[in-house]
Amino acid sequence: MSEYIGVAVMFVMAGGIAALMVLLASTLGKKNPTPEKLAPFECGQEPFSLPMGRLAVKFYLTAILFILFDVELVFLYPWAVVFGELGTLGLIEMGIFLGVLMIGFVYAWDNGALDWK
Amino acid sequence: MIGTVVTQKASGPVLDDLVLVVPELIFVGTALLLILIARRIRKTPVAIVLTVAAAVAAALSAVWFAPAEPTTGFAGMITVDGYATFFRVLIAATVGMTTLLSVRSIVGEEVPRGDYHALLLLAATGMMFSASAIDLLTLYLGLELTTLCAIVLVGIKVDRPLANEAAIKYFLLASFASALLLYGIALTYGATGATDFAGIAAALSKEGLASAPFLLVPLGLVTAGLAFKIAAVPFHAWAPDAYQGASAPVAAFLAAGSKAAGLAALGRVCLVAFGSETEVLSLLLAGLAALSIIAGSVLALSQTDMKRLLAYSSIAHAGYAVLGLLAGTGEGVSAMMTYAFFYVFMTLGAFGVVIALGKRGEELDRYQGLASQRPGMAALMLLFLLSLTGIPPTAGFAAKFVIIQSAVRADHIALAILAVVCSVISAFIYMRVVVLMYMKDPQEAAPSRVPIAVTVAIALAALVTLVGGISPGSLTAWAVSP
Repeated sequence: MSEYIGVAVMFVMAGGIAALMVLLASTLGKKNPTPEKLAPFECGQEPFSLPMGRLAVKFYLTAILFILFDVELVFLYPWAVVFGELGTLGLIEMGIFLGVLMIGFVYAWDNGALDWK
Repeated sequence: MIGTVVTQKASGPVLDDLVLVVPELIFVGTALLLILIARRIRKTPVAIVLTVAAAVAAALSAVWFAPAEPTTGFAGMITVDGYATFFRVLIAATVGMTTLLSVRSIVGEEVPRGDYHALLLLAATGMMFSASAIDLLTLYLGLELTTLCAIVLVGIKVDRPLANEAAIKYFLLASFASALLLYGIALTYGATGATDFAGIAAALSKEGLASAPFLLVPLGLVTAGLAFKIAAVPFHAWAPDAYQGASAPVAAFLAAGSKAAGLAALGRVCLVAFGSETEVLSLLLAGLAALSIIAGSVLALSQTDMKRLLAYSSIAHAGYAVLGLLAGTGEGVSAMMTYAFFYVFMTLGAFGVVIALGKRGEELDRYQGLASQRPGMAALMLLFLLSLTGIPPTAGFAAKFVIIQSAVRADHIALAILAVVCSVISAFIYMRVVVLMYMKDPQEAAPSRVPIAVTVAIALAALVTLVGGISPGSLTAWAVSP
């Protein structure tokens, strides 16, 4: 347990310093409130709005197409690592895999997934 | 297997593996072709011809390429034995007949044709894999492929709110079921250190439930996950809504194919992987069977929608089929296979008549006076309903006979009696339709002509139902358990 004492001390000190700053600012600082100053500070963002805002549904298709290529890449990396051992057969197998994925892409293309309308 | 890189230098072993999955390859190839040409076949029946041809080719190749001895392939992931071949042929037949039945209700309305048939074929590929899987992971992949395609098929009529609702409900419950199954697989792996059936069985026979009661959890979870797939009570809630919302051919496909695949998976898992835990397992299965038979039969009584009625009937039939697995013997499993075989054809037949009658076929009240308007169609419906009840000389009787016999042999006399009593209750449900057809006067004009493809499919189902009733052995002689 003793090796965690440092962490505990760090927590206490960080909490103490943060609390001290807030305390000093609220007791010693000048008060000159305006509505803007009283609003919660959110780095310039509107503090209250819809959770996600509104997003065009068109992005959904883009995301799906992204996943298509993402999955492709996930399999290509480990394949590339052992490519030397797999030889020609490995190349053929990956070709088939990519072909099947591409058929999915062609289908999406056919159905107008790439038209931004 | 985990942690080792399987490398194959020569092309020999790979070809050996590929020969084992020729039916699946045919389905996947045709599906990919359909996806490629999906946008170019709007006005011709190309998709239907291709799909039926693929189904016939897959059934033939499943028999033709069936090895004499059970052969495992893909590093112990699948096996091709009599059990797998049986279900492969059954599933291929389901796909072919569903395609024929889809001629009017799917193609007549605005449904992308290539997509529909490609999904049908891919779902069937998953079903075939779950019938030949000897590893929990392959089994899971097969069932998931089936379910994913089935969800899209249920909601394929995008502009029908009821279909959308059904697809969402099915999706949510199916994901829940998949999570249960996957958790069960993970815990099984944790407890036994294996995901392949042989490894699980070996680990279980060394230290069974007695020494590791924790094993009850994965056992229960896997059973629950598979019970969802066959829509056994209490995991049945999705079925009536999904069947009602889906268009009738899709509902037929779910009721027949999906259930057959689920039973195939359940049968192999119970007999091979968890074979040494028959006592606990048969307790679980007996509960599922009893609840399904009672709930399916009783709840069907109050239905007025034909697809919902058949959904509840399919729930009850799932319960009957599970009776075969209680004994944990090969004999019991082949009784379950016989039941699944005949059930598929009589259900497809009954749904076929519903499809043939169009909108009229979906409401119970509108069957009034059908016998005087379409005597042939009414007679066929009578045949399928008699078979679903289990009255000789139909296949349904032969199926119920072997299944109840196997329950009696497993010393589940109470369950056997329950099954017979509920058969009587279900007779009440099915005969309600018969009374409407034969003893009431028609209230509306005769239904329009039935497309030839639908007639062919119904006739095929009727043929199997009759032959199966007169000489059941001729059709199910090859129902051999793994």
